[in-house]
Amino acid sequence: MAFTDLDLSDPDSFANGFPHEYFRALRREDPVHWNETHFDVERNGRGFWDITKYEDVKMMSRNPMLFSSWEGGTNIFELKGDDLEGSRSMMLNMDPPLHVKYRRLVAKNFTPRMIDQLEPHIRDLAREIIDSIVERGSCDFVTEVAAQLPMKTIMEIVGVPEEDQQHLFEVSNKLVGFDDPELQGSFDEGRMAAAEVCMYGQKLRELVEECPMDNLASALYHGKVDGESLNPLQYNYFFLILMVAGNETTRTLTSNGMRLLMENPDERRKLVENPSLIPNAVEEFLRYNPAVMHFRRTLTDDYELRGKKLKKGDKVVMWYPSANRDEDVFADPDRFDVTRNIPEHLGLGIGEHYCLGASFARAQLRSIFTEILTRVPDMELAGPIRYLRSNFIHGIKEMPVRYTPATRSDAQPVQTTEGCPFHQAESGAVSV
Amino acid sequence: MKVVVDYDLCEANAVCMRILPEVFQVDDQDSLNILIEHPPEAMRDKLKEAVRLCPRQAISIQED
Repeated sequence: MAFTDLDLSDPDSFANGFPHEYFRALRREDPVHWNETHFDVERNGRGFWDITKYEDVKMMSRNPMLFSSWEGGTNIFELKGDDLEGSRSMMLNMDPPLHVKYRRLVAKNFTPRMIDQLEPHIRDLAREIIDSIVERGSCDFVTEVAAQLPMKTIMEIVGVPEEDQQHLFEVSNKLVGFDDPELQGSFDEGRMAAAEVCMYGQKLRELVEECPMDNLASALYHGKVDGESLNPLQYNYFFLILMVAGNETTRTLTSNGMRLLMENPDERRKLVENPSLIPNAVEEFLRYNPAVMHFRRTLTDDYELRGKKLKKGDKVVMWYPSANRDEDVFADPDRFDVTRNIPEHLGLGIGEHYCLGASFARAQLRSIFTEILTRVPDMELAGPIRYLRSNFIHGIKEMPVRYTPATRSDAQPVQTTEGCPFHQAESGAVSV
Repeated sequence: MKVVVDYDLCEANAVCMRILPEVFQVDDQDSLNILIEHPPEAMRDKLKEAVRLCPRQAISIQED
């Protein structure tokens, strides 16, 4: 094989975004490719199979018993001992039939019908977020826009009290940036952040213990798996995964979606002129720049794929951004096109582990982009974009933007109160 | 042909209902009802589309 191998266990291989050119070559010449590990071999093991084609990712996703999430977790790095055991308390790392039972605890809260009922409220929150930046003419898009809606909505449906939200948000951030020294010092620090989020789960548990509420914290506490309640550890881990999955992914899609619109002004113009295209544009964001770049599985039996003999115990890694640009499925795959009719992208996965929050994420993305495109349609980059150092999440840490300032949606017409000191005092007090 | 649904997987995403409402109905309790268990041959293409696009891959076609 004539490849200059790119070691995909190394987060630095993704420093300039997803290496599409390398994957294009893999799809063409060696679509099931053995990646020998050179980066941190101790942590990442001896190597793994790269799965790059759409049909292969779909086939693996449909066969969770053969391609297990339980055996070795769902990331490239190896989990051992307590870490592996702990990871198995999270739905993400379960196989059927257990996975189905856990998922059922909360799945009914995330159906399109349930999310439709929430959407007007999500729209209100999106409006407030744009209100908070619209008068200024510039902001950091990631922290002030993209991060806000996922945080607010996931904490609301979980049932986190408002006074705890900011702190929890800061801690949760450290969980995803585990490979980025700027967001956290080390792998151990990520573990500490996970422990802190888990501990907060304990507090939530106490809040809903006596009094069932209409939120996920309560559904998890009062729900049963095989007739049994979740034990405290299982409960806390469930909370942890909701926080991670609910925060970082939608934020990443929002940031990259905005970046794509700024880079492709003709595509943005189509949406400004015809906002009914926004739901379709959201699907193109998911295809073109999915938030999660890989999930790993472990083979429970020998398996032959495209002539390669994969062995029981082998680590097999599905690369979603590659599958989503598979030339055999998508015409002109590297073109970002908001009018593309693309129902089959894998930006939210498929099958057993299909993103539980898919409808929730879509509703948020529709809401925030509707606000952005109608109220700040001329947003442009005002400085360099800084990416997250990760081979897992295609994240953006910082993206300064500027735009023509506009008025808040809740701005009241100025009322004349001359000659009436009482009114002046009163309105003064209200505005403080 | 017969429509078969794996109800362990189905989570009422209602993609099938958008493709073939004559066969698939997700009700206001988020339950999927199969309205025609043995759909006519003319619906095969639409049915295959529903099988392919179900996000949970919960639908299959069983030949008689």
